[in-house]
Amino acid sequence: MAKAVRASAEQKLEENNRRWGMVIDLDRCTGCQACVVACHAENNVPVVGEHEATRGHSMHWIRIERYWEGEYPNVKARFMPVLCQHCGEAPCEPVCPVFATYHTPEGLNAQVYNRCIGTRFCGAACPYKVRAFNWFRPDFPEPLDQQLNPDVSVRQRGIIEKCSFCVQRIRRVELDAAASGREVEDGEVQPACVQSCPPSALIFGDLNDPESEASQFSRSRRAFRLLDFLGTDPAVVYLKGGETNV
Amino acid sequence: MSDHEPMAGDSVLPERQSELSQEYRERLLLAQRTDAEINAAVLQPMMETGPKFWITVAILVAIILWGLYAWGYMIYWGMGTAGINNPVYWGLFIATFIFWVGISHAGTMISAVLRIFKADWRRPITRGAEAMTAFALLMAGLYPFIHLGRVWKFYWMLPYPNNRFMWPNFQSPLMWDMVAIFTYLIGSSLYLYLALIPDLAMARDHSVGWRYKLYRTFALGWRGTEGEWHKLHRALNIFSVIIIPVFLSVHSIVAWDFAVTIQPRWHSSILAPYFIMGAVYSGLAALATILVIVRKSMRLQEFLRREHFDALGKLVMVAGLGWIYFWFAGFIVEWYGNDPVIRELIHDEITGKLAPLFWLQMTANVLPVIFLTFHKIRTNLKWLLGLTLLINVGMYTERVLIVVGNLQRNYLPFDWGTYKPTWVEISIVAMTFAGFILLYTLFSRIVPYVPVWEIKEGRLRYSLRRIGRLLVPTAAEID
Amino acid sequence: MVGKEISRRTFFKVAAGAAAASGLSPQVRRIALEPFVRPPEEELPGRATWFASTCRQCPAGCGIIVRVINGRARKIEGNPNHPLNRGKLCARGQSGLQVLYNPDRLHNAVRQSGGRGSRIFSPIPWDEALNELSATLQSLRDPQALAVLAGQPSDHLYTILASFLEGVGAPPAVIFDLHSALDGRADYASMSSRWFGERQLPIYDLAHAQVVFSFGANLLETWMSPVAQSAAYGQMRQGSLGGRGVFVQFEPRLSATGASADEWIPIPPGSEGIIALALGRIIVEENLGRAGKHNGHAHLYRNVSVADAAQASGFSVEELRRLAHLFAEADRPLAIPGGQLTGHTNSAQAMDAVMALNVIMRRLGRSGGVFMPQPVPAERFTSPAPTSNLDEVLDLVERMRSGDVEIFMFHGANPIYELPAWVGFKEALEEVPLVISFNPFVDETAVQADLILPDHTYLEGWGYQVVSPSIDRPVVSGQQPVTQPLHDTRSTVDILLSLANRLGGTVARDLPWNDEVGFLEESSAQLHDNSISIYDARTPAGFWSLWRQHGGWWSKREIKREPEAVGMPKEAMTVPAATFQGDEATYPFHLMPYSSLTLSDGRGANQPWLQETPDPMTTARWNTWIEINPESARSLAVRDNDMVNVTSAFGSLQAAVVVYPGIRPDTVAIPIGQGHSDYGRFAAMRGANVMDLLTPSPEDQNGKFTFGATRVRIEKIGQMKPLARLEDLDGEGRESIR
Repeated sequence: MAKAVRASAEQKLEENNRRWGMVIDLDRCTGCQACVVACHAENNVPVVGEHEATRGHSMHWIRIERYWEGEYPNVKARFMPVLCQHCGEAPCEPVCPVFATYHTPEGLNAQVYNRCIGTRFCGAACPYKVRAFNWFRPDFPEPLDQQLNPDVSVRQRGIIEKCSFCVQRIRRVELDAAASGREVEDGEVQPACVQSCPPSALIFGDLNDPESEASQFSRSRRAFRLLDFLGTDPAVVYLKGGETNV
Repeated sequence: MSDHEPMAGDSVLPERQSELSQEYRERLLLAQRTDAEINAAVLQPMMETGPKFWITVAILVAIILWGLYAWGYMIYWGMGTAGINNPVYWGLFIATFIFWVGISHAGTMISAVLRIFKADWRRPITRGAEAMTAFALLMAGLYPFIHLGRVWKFYWMLPYPNNRFMWPNFQSPLMWDMVAIFTYLIGSSLYLYLALIPDLAMARDHSVGWRYKLYRTFALGWRGTEGEWHKLHRALNIFSVIIIPVFLSVHSIVAWDFAVTIQPRWHSSILAPYFIMGAVYSGLAALATILVIVRKSMRLQEFLRREHFDALGKLVMVAGLGWIYFWFAGFIVEWYGNDPVIRELIHDEITGKLAPLFWLQMTANVLPVIFLTFHKIRTNLKWLLGLTLLINVGMYTERVLIVVGNLQRNYLPFDWGTYKPTWVEISIVAMTFAGFILLYTLFSRIVPYVPVWEIKEGRLRYSLRRIGRLLVPTAAEID
Repeated sequence: MVGKEISRRTFFKVAAGAAAASGLSPQVRRIALEPFVRPPEEELPGRATWFASTCRQCPAGCGIIVRVINGRARKIEGNPNHPLNRGKLCARGQSGLQVLYNPDRLHNAVRQSGGRGSRIFSPIPWDEALNELSATLQSLRDPQALAVLAGQPSDHLYTILASFLEGVGAPPAVIFDLHSALDGRADYASMSSRWFGERQLPIYDLAHAQVVFSFGANLLETWMSPVAQSAAYGQMRQGSLGGRGVFVQFEPRLSATGASADEWIPIPPGSEGIIALALGRIIVEENLGRAGKHNGHAHLYRNVSVADAAQASGFSVEELRRLAHLFAEADRPLAIPGGQLTGHTNSAQAMDAVMALNVIMRRLGRSGGVFMPQPVPAERFTSPAPTSNLDEVLDLVERMRSGDVEIFMFHGANPIYELPAWVGFKEALEEVPLVISFNPFVDETAVQADLILPDHTYLEGWGYQVVSPSIDRPVVSGQQPVTQPLHDTRSTVDILLSLANRLGGTVARDLPWNDEVGFLEESSAQLHDNSISIYDARTPAGFWSLWRQHGGWWSKREIKREPEAVGMPKEAMTVPAATFQGDEATYPFHLMPYSSLTLSDGRGANQPWLQETPDPMTTARWNTWIEINPESARSLAVRDNDMVNVTSAFGSLQAAVVVYPGIRPDTVAIPIGQGHSDYGRFAAMRGANVMDLLTPSPEDQNGKFTFGATRVRIEKIGQMKPLARLEDLDGEGRESIR
């Protein structure tokens, strides 16, 4: 048996006190849907087609909600990106009968695709309705299947899926850092949506590290969390838009 | 019959007395029939199957086969062939699941609770009721499989040791469902079977061919000795006590599937007792429906008499009152509390998109309660049949409103939805209804429907005694 | 089996059998995993190689890096070093992989053997195709009978094409694509020429502006350079220490850009110029702002009556004054004309009126203002591809119709779909004996071609593009293949070079390169040793290598030029009222066709990711809809998802209704992009093409593309078509229940 000479990458992961979180600056978000397409591309999220999209079967992991306020001519529209909030007290986790969704030590609400048997209890329990279900066999007509990201499994029908904060990117950065013997830097992990966002409305980082950009923004005067009163302790912090900061 | 029934001890005119004793004798089957005649009366409809029976079976089998095809189609192509979607993740399947679990409560109510209260009128009904329980639970037990996205992995919900040390999550109400329904199913099946043994023995003694072989196997060599009777009674008494907490917990657990989430209108502490009350209401009504039909089709008129339906109707009415109370208790708190999403849901129900279903539910559940207060209606079998069917339409609608109606709305209006069932769901639901009816029909032809030994036991309790010039029915305490 | 050793062979046999048994399904195919026998040098299994290239989903020219694993492109990201987008990328850029791996691409050169429109194609070998083409070209009696239409060509293709056509004596190519037309690029070049003496697109320093008045420019969606503009917008909002910028959008329909604005001013269509003039007048009259005296500008507004402008626009004088104060009292105001403004008959004057605001507030060359780009310091890159006006397109159509064109070739354009139906491009093509398409997809125009010689898609191709509009420094964005070409397609530039070689003579001399890469390498060498380069190398070969690694060339520091208002009008400015086609009584509504955020001018319709991405304002997908003001909808007695007939003086179509609070009651809007009859399974036969409704105006004949000048009427059909919206209509657009 080989002796462990120094802490393995896995051990290091368990020892850190990280809580991954995201800050969404609603003053910067323009509703451009770049994050939506980037997420589809990175995570092998299937396209369901017009008929199924009309029936409520689409599978976007992140969506831009658009709100109307007022009446013509004093009408305003606002955008709010909604994705899995990776709640600290997630209502979706205790209800899964097979532990397909659980909380990782780094604060992610993880979904284990090959464990899911598709009871959809988690979907019903989630107040943000961010969980997508594979209502059909996902269809990637050739050669579109050549684009599939090998770091993310392709799910079959009957499985729930949702935003994972691009856990495959988190893992890659953490393992690379551990293998190189250095720490993960703030801003080194960028989920696909964060990386693509043109107005830089999305910020990702360790909420437990007070120096990280995400952490600092989460302490902004403009900060709020979605459906706070439910006690879900989300890891996504929104910054209210439309007000001067001076 | 006369309106005024003399109580024991009233002075009675001689002419009336013979009328009364006639009535009592009929009621209690005293001196009316010999044991052998009773046996024959029960066995004959069981053994005879006319063309109507086979046509019914053929239709039911056809519906079941079509339902199985729909289920296979759904497994192969995916759950999207049903009408469930985001955000209405649960639909007709779960609503029907609750419905069947609810129906199953009648059996326990009748055979266990009434046994403990020593209500004698239960005697001809207990087996029919227990059979209803067992088959309703079987149908209910199909739904945890039907609604699974990957049903071929269902066994991961079973706790078995494996090389990944993965156990199911017992924190999940679905696991409690598994345990509770399984327990209830085993319990009530055993209860049903135990009470069946003496009659299987009786049937064994009166049949030939495959029936003889079948009954001989399942009668377990019952000879009717005192020791055997003693053990049987002990077992039935234990069961009737134990099954009650099981039946209370099963539907509470099914209710907690919803109540433990933070979905508006699901997250309510009254949901568990409300479901139980609704289950008793719905189950008893279904029982009455079934008994009216079986009485006619199996010519059991002398076993299932007016007084049974009268008593059953009273129970249904009381259960209905209970349901109304619990519905109102839940409603008043929600309506008064004025939570915005709940306000929206209530509006939807009363005047919005769900209004047709909601008012159907209220009419179908409340109206029968009013009607059943009348003895004339309770004992008019056509009325009883119509009203109890209406009750179950109402109760089914109630389940659909709870599951579907509340999933259509939530805290984020952007993510509201609409549900419309497809042919897949309707076919599968029809399959379970047909399955229930088929099982019940076959059961009634394989097994003596009326519990003969219990009736005879009841007869033993009663006698008419002459005290002076009075004829008084007396009852003896039997263990 | 305890105590008995299972041989490896037995184990695998059993395991394979179990796997086969569990995989029993008629749909399961055996997929053989084949490793590279001789992998390319840079391939390491499981590790990605990133290639820098340029996105070509729109004319902006953002730099991209593509993640390639095992020879397959998996993910496109913005190039973090590229000065234009700095690592960011929009939805259409992200979707580029579905162009490369599209299932409906042509696999080889084909002849439409069943005749035009038959959609029966037979593959032909490239040699045969090129021989035929070369022979036809040589046998042309009059080289003027060769016509070429190119849509959004990359600059290297344009250079080669222009040289080729000049060398053979053919007329210059017509450069037209709908996206650039909707951007108003040609109009902008003209305006720059008028005001600043050069045809370069100006640079707006949006990031440092304090108050931005956008007149019709949907700068956060598809207009010009949306990624760079969005990044600048984010900076303007929350990135500046000087406070949060204010953004006001003047447009008849609240676009997604308008939704991000602080104020939406719902102006009548075509009134942008009149309002800009009125604001200018107020500023000059009241001597507003701290930029200096306005004496020198007073003459511009001599003929402007604020009261008349107020009446024409439907706003009060007070309101106009408020806006003028807001603009002028800012330290760094910025006015941007564009988008819908360019679709009106008075667009040139309107653009002038808006640009005048920048001039009188002295924003030229100042932080947060207007700049001119610094040209790339090499001769090869100084003339980016121009955009043709509509009159050049109409000339081409006229020549085709009268039989003056014998060979028509087109690349990167789909004129039958993109041009309004009144242009009659399809009918004109019938008079052309030989039609050749270079498009990789069978689109509406390719279906009328005789030969298709498919070019590579942009992720498989080479090239460069001078970024225009630029950001803050000269940039040449480089393009290189990220994978081997998937199919037997061929670079159009290579075809042109090979044809030139065969034809000989002038054209062979003008295009001496053997292949595209040779041309590009030589072009890059022109910038070698330039002192402002971000990188340098000792040899041109090394420089070419760095060029490809970086994804192009740019200067290491910011270089912008202050524009000189040499063309400031000497006379009073006027903006005529916009005119519309179709009388108001019969056609009560203004029609606003707008560029779809996802599909742009229709080119995105074959990418399922883009089709399924919700439109930000309506959340609808996969189809065409018409946006109607709630009051107008009530008076028409239509509700959401009702189907209506939309009729103009020229044509009609059917669309589903979206009751849209953010639009004027006298205006309706329909997104461009659907209504394809071909172009692949994801695009074909869905929705309607709003370009079919456009009614020709006299200005069109003069080269103005008046896409905003059509009026329509609306009739209920009595059917419903539920749109694939992401939002639930019962939610009524509320954020929460209150």
